[in-house]
Amino acid sequence: MKMADKSESSTNSDTPTNQDELILAQQRKIQQEISDTIPLVGPLDQISSLESEYSTDTIYLAKIKDLSSKYKSIRRTRPDGNCFFRAFGYAYIEKLLDDKEQFSLFYDLVEKSKNSLVALGFPQFTVEDFYDTFMEVLKRINDIDDASDAKKELHNLFNEQGYSDYMVVYLRLLTSGQLQKEQIFYSFFIDGERTVADFCHQEVEPMYKESDHIHIMGACSVLLTGVRVVYMDRGGNTSVTEHNIPQDRLTPDVYLLYRPGHYDILYL
Amino acid sequence: MAGSAVRRLLAEYKQLTLNPPEGIIAGPIDEDNFFEWEALITGPEGTCFEGGVFPAKLIFPRDYPLSPPKMQFTCEMFHPNIYSDGRVCISILHAPGDDPMGYESSAERWSPVQSVEKILLSVVSMLAEPNDESGANVDAAKMWRENRDEFNKIAERIVRRTLGIPA
Repeated sequence: MKMADKSESSTNSDTPTNQDELILAQQRKIQQEISDTIPLVGPLDQISSLESEYSTDTIYLAKIKDLSSKYKSIRRTRPDGNCFFRAFGYAYIEKLLDDKEQFSLFYDLVEKSKNSLVALGFPQFTVEDFYDTFMEVLKRINDIDDASDAKKELHNLFNEQGYSDYMVVYLRLLTSGQLQKEQIFYSFFIDGERTVADFCHQEVEPMYKESDHIHIMGACSVLLTGVRVVYMDRGGNTSVTEHNIPQDRLTPDVYLLYRPGHYDILYL
Repeated sequence: MAGSAVRRLLAEYKQLTLNPPEGIIAGPIDEDNFFEWEALITGPEGTCFEGGVFPAKLIFPRDYPLSPPKMQFTCEMFHPNIYSDGRVCISILHAPGDDPMGYESSAERWSPVQSVEKILLSVVSMLAEPNDESGANVDAAKMWRENRDEFNKIAERIVRRTLGIPA
């Protein structure tokens, strides 16, 4: 009798959870359908192209005007939760291609980074594929003499999902490693009782997790660069707000436009 | 994308074959299809599942290891974290945010640096120490909490069945 009860009620108790999973699966599918129509990294567009997204919103239109007085163009990225890392990686490498010397310093830094990650406790075995892909991309563009051809190749590789996603994973791992290495400092930026390691395992290392200020700090710090984030939302006045990371670095290598939930690349 | 998934799965298969964790065997069912694996998990010693050999299937997505596999026991199971159809419900099989059971914030989650081995080891710990707060099987969770003797009896019967011994 007891067994009969069991099998009957457990069928019932499974139903609501299965529903939840179905809803999650559907949400994922819808998000995927939206994001698949947008290239991983798009072409250069005029800042004014943003206007069509906000044609009836006077606050945004005023801010776009302000933005276009400071920046010349925008390059959109796919809103899949990886946009910060994809935009950051693309824009930084693109900038380095204008300066062979800087590029080769960066190359050396990344080349040595796998051992640092392994020393921090990352399993060599699972880090390797992402590292190898990152190095392969750097090698391929480094082998091209002409900077504008190299940039074209960078653009192609960043739009090939296999390469692009593995680049993103490796940037996530480097960032995670940096946060954990400096965990006392970064623990002040984490709400609640999570440790820096827990935060990294849950918010930095997994794909599709959106990035916050702390991710940008970690990424800039490990790759010795600076980012300027230009915030554009419906709050405040008619101008966009700019913020340098790290704060004391006044000449950033990368400019990103942040609209709530999403990063795109900006060009001066 | 599927190419890098196969490369990674092949490497994991090699690793698991060369250095198998104790009590675990896993590999592709058919070497022409690396996206479907079978695993055999031995019930951990000193637990009510001791001595059992539990078969399970692992199904990998095309973007593995960016996304986690799914795992399902193919034998009868009665456990707080296993659905009655055998699907395993533990945090490491879910990316953060993908949260059917409301896992604790400190729970281990899927990320591309996890591995099949990590999953299987988590499943072994899950067999040893059920988490009765995230009940995939509410009845099993309730019985685990309130009537451990009865739970142990059912587990013992399942163990015997996996070994082909009549109950």
